[in-house]
Amino acid sequence: MKANFLYASPIPWMAFALTAAGNEEPDITTAQRDFFETKIRPALVKHCYECHSKDSKKLGGKLLLDTRDDVQKGGESGAVLVAGKPDDSLFMHALRWEDSLEMPPEEPLPDAVISDFRKWIEMGAPDPRTGPVVPVSLPVSTPTTHWSFKAVQNPPAPQITETDWGYDPIDQFILAGIEKAGLSPARDAPPETLVRRLYFDLTGLAPSYDEIHAFVEDYAGDRRASVEKLVDTLLASPHFGERWGRHWLDVARYGESNGNDGLSRNPTFPHAWRYRDYVIESFNRDTPFDQFITEQIAGDLLPGEDDAQRDRLLVATGFLALGAKPAKAMNDNFNMDVVDDQIAVVGSGIMGISVACARCHDHKHDPIPTRDYYALAGIFQSTETLWGNAGHEKLTAPATDLHVLKTAPKVPAPADFIETVAPIDSNTGEPRASPASKWPDGTPLAMGVRDRKTAVNSRINLKGESKKLGDIVPRGFLTACNMPGAEVTVEKRSSGRLELAKWLTHEDHPLTSRVMVNRIWLHLFGQGLVATPDDFGVFGSPPTHPGLLDHLSSRFITNGWSVKELIKAVVLSHTYQLDSTDDEAKVALDPENHLYTRHLRRRLDAESLRDRILQATGELELKPAEGSVIRHRDILVNLAGSLHEPSRHRSVYLCFLRNSPPPELAAFDLPDGTMVTGKREVTALPAQSLFLMNSPFLVEQSRHLARHLLRTGGDDDHLVVTEALRRVLCRNPFEGEFERASTFISDLDAELQGNHSDAIIRKELAWAAYCQALLASSEFRYID
Amino acid sequence: MNSPLSRRHLLRSSSCGFGYLALSALCREKALADLATSSGLSDKVAPFHARAKRVIFLCMSGGPAQLDTFDYKPQTGKKKHPGSVFNFSQHGESGLWISELMPETAKQADKLCLLNGMNADTGNHSQSFHQLHTGDRLRSRPSLGAWINYGLGTANQNLPGFVSLNTAKPQSYSSAFLPAVYQGSPLGINGENMSTATLANITGDHLPTSAKRQQLDLIQAMNREHQSIRSDDPALEAVIESMELGFRMQSEAPGLLDTRNEPPAVLERYRVGHNVSEGTCKPSDFGRQCLLARRFAEAGVRFIEVNHGSWDQHKNHRRDLKANCEATDAPIAALLEDLEQRGLLDDTLVVWGGEFGRPGLTPDDGKDETGHNANGFTFWLAGGGVKGGHVHGKTDETGARAVEGKVHFRDLHATILHLMGLPANDLTYFHEGRNHRLTGPEGGQVVTEILA
Repeated sequence: MKANFLYASPIPWMAFALTAAGNEEPDITTAQRDFFETKIRPALVKHCYECHSKDSKKLGGKLLLDTRDDVQKGGESGAVLVAGKPDDSLFMHALRWEDSLEMPPEEPLPDAVISDFRKWIEMGAPDPRTGPVVPVSLPVSTPTTHWSFKAVQNPPAPQITETDWGYDPIDQFILAGIEKAGLSPARDAPPETLVRRLYFDLTGLAPSYDEIHAFVEDYAGDRRASVEKLVDTLLASPHFGERWGRHWLDVARYGESNGNDGLSRNPTFPHAWRYRDYVIESFNRDTPFDQFITEQIAGDLLPGEDDAQRDRLLVATGFLALGAKPAKAMNDNFNMDVVDDQIAVVGSGIMGISVACARCHDHKHDPIPTRDYYALAGIFQSTETLWGNAGHEKLTAPATDLHVLKTAPKVPAPADFIETVAPIDSNTGEPRASPASKWPDGTPLAMGVRDRKTAVNSRINLKGESKKLGDIVPRGFLTACNMPGAEVTVEKRSSGRLELAKWLTHEDHPLTSRVMVNRIWLHLFGQGLVATPDDFGVFGSPPTHPGLLDHLSSRFITNGWSVKELIKAVVLSHTYQLDSTDDEAKVALDPENHLYTRHLRRRLDAESLRDRILQATGELELKPAEGSVIRHRDILVNLAGSLHEPSRHRSVYLCFLRNSPPPELAAFDLPDGTMVTGKREVTALPAQSLFLMNSPFLVEQSRHLARHLLRTGGDDDHLVVTEALRRVLCRNPFEGEFERASTFISDLDAELQGNHSDAIIRKELAWAAYCQALLASSEFRYID
Repeated sequence: MNSPLSRRHLLRSSSCGFGYLALSALCREKALADLATSSGLSDKVAPFHARAKRVIFLCMSGGPAQLDTFDYKPQTGKKKHPGSVFNFSQHGESGLWISELMPETAKQADKLCLLNGMNADTGNHSQSFHQLHTGDRLRSRPSLGAWINYGLGTANQNLPGFVSLNTAKPQSYSSAFLPAVYQGSPLGINGENMSTATLANITGDHLPTSAKRQQLDLIQAMNREHQSIRSDDPALEAVIESMELGFRMQSEAPGLLDTRNEPPAVLERYRVGHNVSEGTCKPSDFGRQCLLARRFAEAGVRFIEVNHGSWDQHKNHRRDLKANCEATDAPIAALLEDLEQRGLLDDTLVVWGGEFGRPGLTPDDGKDETGHNANGFTFWLAGGGVKGGHVHGKTDETGARAVEGKVHFRDLHATILHLMGLPANDLTYFHEGRNHRLTGPEGGQVVTEILA
């Protein structure tokens, strides 16, 4: 009886077992068995058993694939296998999505898996599975099976035919895929396009007409040197951090208020902006990413050289404190809800793994047992989270201490400032006086975390209920990421945050570097190598270019986790510099551009759209804004009406209140700040059109621009049109464009005669309408 | 002039095995193209007999407790078992059993068609909510309203074909891979105050309308030029359509959203401005939502979704369920009454339900907590060609699972499409190498037993 071979199989995690029935061992060689066990069985379990197993909810086509006999018997379409003849086997036809039978129905299997099945049938379909099997559960990935938990490899760049094409190994990985598909890359982007793309990607701003001109000239001389020079300049610009910092703020679920606590209360976080500034500064300094992560998780535990650095490290821990919290009132689980948010942001944000499901049960698909969740929970339970006064509303959250900063300037509220929004007494429903602050007015404060006096281990909360306690779990990390020889253990007395940071940023950690390089790629190409940037688990997408992902990850670590270095390498690649337009036939073969034969056109995101409008109209204030409009206001947003105030600063400095986003950005797919958002949605709703046509912001900015143009261009319409196009669309007029503008202006002037008798007013209105049209155009809002 | 119908669009439509609709749509779009108002949203003729012309979906997020609302489970033996803990009585000529928590809706009993044998795949909120809206639990897929807009367009070219009120999740009104023009327009997102929520920037007095039209013509001329020298990009097409829609909306929507001209008695019947806030029940001005739903329906909007929640009363089942029922009962009754009175109920399908239901409580055992139950729960339909005062399907005696007349979300979707005159399993769209449909790989069964 050889029943227990299962135990030694590479997939012991499946609830698989042969019964003790005396079935004979089929005649297969060890190599064949190994092939079956490593290639075929896992694929059957993962891709086929959902519908073709005894345990399937609904058996598909009366076909079972549980045993050798089942496979040979076939289903309602008859035999599926002809041993040795894959081309005659229905099975292969279905896998290749030929004819009418397409399996699996959702999408074809990866080519590698299909070719494994082919090999297997060629071998004669050797199958060790005799006898009846006990039901199989859905596959659960394990460190040994799911790609993202395997160690990062540093694969050699693949061979390519067009060896002259690449500038960087990145290009070899990309070109190999393109060549394999029998395609070729698009032409290079013209320099006018490339320069706009680089400005947008690296700073979120537009180049001026003169800057474009200068670049185009340089480019005509030494192409690659000119690009590198520009990239270095942009990476050194303070606006780089404003752009890339904002990307990280999406991941950090940044918000300046709690958001609706479930009882409609939404307290401000008046000090959250310090974290925003910390993030921007870190990207500008090119703080190594491992250090950046460590500071955000355990900055308070790091030694600071001086008070200024200590302040900075304390502010960094705001990362863990600024999550949205559900109301404390009648919520026994409140403390664990805070912990849960911290686990979620570390899990999805840094590791690309959703750990949160394991709060109540072992993760259904990813290898995250509940024990691991509570191992992490212990770390955060040993940590005190400082969010401040929470709008003086203890039903939302009890007030906490805050970090007091030593070197930041004291900024008291302006002398004439009077808080008009009073807290509401929950018993009477009447306004009551705001409690006096425990700090002198103007004390620089920061949200963040610090260790509790004593460290504790968490007990499993059965079904996620804090009142139903199970086993005690020692503080620790995810068992799925086993890093042989690199074990980090938690000191008995420490919360474990510093150890957690060390573990996350260990060079053998399979996820941290992969997740970050994928985020960087996503922001430069419009899509990630892994399409689901926050989910590298079983239900996430597998990487389109696994070799490239690992190449970039190991390069990232080798280069000291430098974000700027990595961005530079990517934008200097040939792949990045391709045109966004290509043969229609080629585009049709790969509409989603998974092969990167061209560059994906992208819409300006909310912040860039506003910034570039202000830039075009000459209204943008490029100096960073100081603080936040709510820095002196510990209130409930929901009682306050709109707290937003007009600003000319870059959008990243606007007040990102949860559930009350800046009105100038709200229509353009802002994240809500309640969860990690690695990739924003891109919609084309009519709300956006209405914003472009009617919003006070667009109307006002168009007037500014028109006035400016008329002041400098006077009565020379040609000059006015040219300058308008240069400022907004960064180019000179096309043939016929001036005439079109002129006709528009005179038509509009005629149209407005009934409403306005003053010719000067009419002229300004008409030109403002023209400027608004340019600002609303696709050409302005899309980057090639 | 390049046609708004790109070759790819054409290929997609004609390769989708959905010939008739595609053809009729193409002809109409062609006609509209000449007016420079390219729009896949033109009103299309349903290929089959359409019993309903529009849908109002009353989305009750969080998992409404069916055993204390519409699926009566009295105690059957000596030993107490899970079931209903609120009182039920029979209503209307049909004698439907409806809970004491829904006194106003109960008066409309003869209009309701209860589906007591609903079942879904998962008790996970977000996945099941996603499946209810899109047919898929995990991936980004077009939502029901987007599919219906794709199939039928909208009857009113000045309004979005799909409006989603008090919505929280973009994926529930997303068009996913369908052209973005079929996406829903949200009204009140992220917990906005529903008593005042409006379509942002719907008006602007900086230019007279005629001048705005000239301005838009310039924008669109530039946009078409921009698009024509770029390889086919559906996003650029979508922008052009979205600009047109935005323009038309600003002329029609403001009046529609202004409910001040409604008589006070109507506002009172709908409980406009009446907010209930208790535990999980959040203020949603459900009365205003229902009144707006009626006004949108009258104006020809194809798919209207209104939202109330959360019905996820884990802790204080009785208190929070009462609050949720109080917040929604009268507005729903007023909506049904008005639709009937205006002759709209016959071709308006009203759908009530959430992502799953809840297990019952056992009377007198002191417990007040309920979890999720995806194995058996209730939806109801009204109007739009379904039987009134009818019960289809049942759960076992504790309400734990559906045992008869089982209806899965994909069957519900198939039935809704069928009632709209669309082919339940053949409304497809070609994307990434294959045809997709709302009812998924399994396909859905139209619940023919409930057709009037």
